[in-house]
Amino acid sequence: MAYAYLFKYIIIGDTGVGKSCLLLQFTDKRFQPVHDLTIGVEFGARMITIDGKQIKLQIWDTAGQESFRSITRSYYRGAAGALLVYDITRRDTFNHLTTWLEDARQHSNSNMVIMLIGNKSDLESRREVKKEEGEAFAREHGLIFMETSAKTASNVEEAFINTAKEIYEKIQEGVFDINNEANGIKIGPQHAATNSTLAGGQGGQQAGGGCC
Amino acid sequence: MFLEGSPEHKSGSARYCYKMSENGRPAADLQENVKDNTLKEETDSDSFYDAQSDSSADVAPTRKTRKRPENKPPPELLESPKSAGVAENVSKASTQTSVSEGGWGSWGSWGKSLLSTATATVATVGQGLSQVIEKAETSLGIPSPSELSTQVEKEQEADAPPSSSEENTAEGSGTVLGSAMGMLSSSSMGMLSSLSSAVQNTSKTVISGGLDALEFIGKKTMDVIAEGDPGFKKTKGLMNRSSTLSQVLREAKEREQQQTAEKVTSETEKKAHYGMLFDEFQGLSHLEALEILSRESEAKVKSVLSTLSGEELTTLRDDLEQIKESFSLMEFDDEEVDDPQVDDGENFTKELTDTLKKLHISTSAERLGKARRNAFERIVKIPTEAKQQQDESSEQEAPVITCTVEDAHCYAITSLAELTARSIEQFHKVAEMLLHTSVEEVTALEQAKVLAQITIVLCKEISVLSKKFTACLATIGTNEKGEVLNPLITGVFLEASNSASYIQDAFQLLMPVIEVSHIQRTAESSPR
Repeated sequence: MAYAYLFKYIIIGDTGVGKSCLLLQFTDKRFQPVHDLTIGVEFGARMITIDGKQIKLQIWDTAGQESFRSITRSYYRGAAGALLVYDITRRDTFNHLTTWLEDARQHSNSNMVIMLIGNKSDLESRREVKKEEGEAFAREHGLIFMETSAKTASNVEEAFINTAKEIYEKIQEGVFDINNEANGIKIGPQHAATNSTLAGGQGGQQAGGGCC
Repeated sequence: MFLEGSPEHKSGSARYCYKMSENGRPAADLQENVKDNTLKEETDSDSFYDAQSDSSADVAPTRKTRKRPENKPPPELLESPKSAGVAENVSKASTQTSVSEGGWGSWGSWGKSLLSTATATVATVGQGLSQVIEKAETSLGIPSPSELSTQVEKEQEADAPPSSSEENTAEGSGTVLGSAMGMLSSSSMGMLSSLSSAVQNTSKTVISGGLDALEFIGKKTMDVIAEGDPGFKKTKGLMNRSSTLSQVLREAKEREQQQTAEKVTSETEKKAHYGMLFDEFQGLSHLEALEILSRESEAKVKSVLSTLSGEELTTLRDDLEQIKESFSLMEFDDEEVDDPQVDDGENFTKELTDTLKKLHISTSAERLGKARRNAFERIVKIPTEAKQQQDESSEQEAPVITCTVEDAHCYAITSLAELTARSIEQFHKVAEMLLHTSVEEVTALEQAKVLAQITIVLCKEISVLSKKFTACLATIGTNEKGEVLNPLITGVFLEASNSASYIQDAFQLLMPVIEVSHIQRTAESSPR
């Protein structure tokens, strides 16, 4: 249960690209073909391990509908990572990426790690956006890139975890000020209480890396 | 109604608190009042405690809507003291309550009290509240009333042979609670001096019910505990950085986690951590999101007000004032609270659905209804006495009980955490829809009133559930020692009280959202 860090993620992108499905696949390891439209924001959480440390991902899955945009923008702040998702079978969702990216950059902190995700890679026959295009866009804007399938779970774990790895590296490099919670990173409880009685036992299992 | 086995104790605290907050008088005066009340109690108890027929373990902990006292200078002097008609006052208190106004400005002090209650829970579970209270009492120099200790002894003796009649059981548990409550009231008396300043400031707040006393104890207790606990001080230090409720809650929860990890603890502690469960049900996330919307709305309202002048400004100010009022006055229908029958939540879901409809926004009570059904399913799992007698084929050494008190406690805490998290989620969704859609069928003021109604429905349900769960606990725990059972029962009430506070606080967060919604509507209807 105890974690070394907590990272806040947001998932953004056009409606219907599979944001909620990606989240469900990541947190529950299942796929739900029919999904209610997300209202505002929904949440998911999962623990992952990076470099032997327990990291809790707190994921804010935002509504893709245009009409919710002004509300969902409010939630960007304080995110350490963002998954920017488009649908490889719908060219328009790819075309809108620039707007999404501007929005994200404008309303979040500048160090936020952004992972570009081309979802629905299982639908190869209906592909409208080439993988190379995604890669090029990512390169141009300094994003990480991956094609995923929420349906087959292909690359889903990787997308979430690689983002976390990148954030973790930035922490190690000192890019993120982990004491500033506006960065979307929180130090876990066992870090915060190094002075109290850390009587081995259970606490020792996941002794977090040194900070402070 | 505060149904309580031994009303002398319980009501003492209830009335006492009520008077305390209404009059905001200095400690000495109040203590006298308490004595008076306690005396008077015996004569009018019949009119107030309507029957013993109900399970005596029933206490209505959370029905009163109120805000936690804040450490703000008193905005004005409070109503002049009314010494006459205690009974009248009390009945008034039970039909009409209010929450203090606004107060979102001072997150800091507010959060502090929250943290201490949240952390108090840890102490409750970890150390046993009675023990803690004792500690608090000693340190405060409050002698436990001798009458009380006799009660406790009696109760412990009575533990031995319950002649299996339902009445006996009820009596026994009633005493447990009664004495617990008595202890609380006596402790809170001694705390008065320190509390009175805080209480004086909550001009409109009517604090009543034993649970509020309990909550105070929790806070006070934490201070006592904190003295020897550097970890807690550390947390307090962290507090200064944090500015929002969800952060404070998160930190409190993390402390819980940490304590669980550090100590080799009993099953109960591992399973029944309210804060952790609340977070698992995504209560914290929804609260955080709601806070964001609330904060932004507040800023928006301010900026709009700063651009207006003259008549426009006056009109808007008046409108907003009216909206504010519906966030500070809440009426409680007393009679409905006192329902000992707990159904599967159908009525609750229906009432909630009907009320939500009046908002004219697209939102459903589905998730809350589910949470309520889950709670019911957990209640059903706790064997009542009749069922116990049939189920004699259980494996444990206690042959008639298939569900331990720890299990029942865990069910209770889980249910409270789930229902509360879903309540916060509901309010969060309402906030999003209010900002998203422009409603024409109903005014913002009317919506505010509906939201107040919803808050009451939710708090009432928390109260009903906690009553039911504690009644179950008392029933299956008749053979348990007081020091095992009491902290569990107290823990449920404490968390029920916290639940109601979170729900009311979330309701308060909706105020700026409603205000923005109102401003949007007026802007649309009168284009300039």
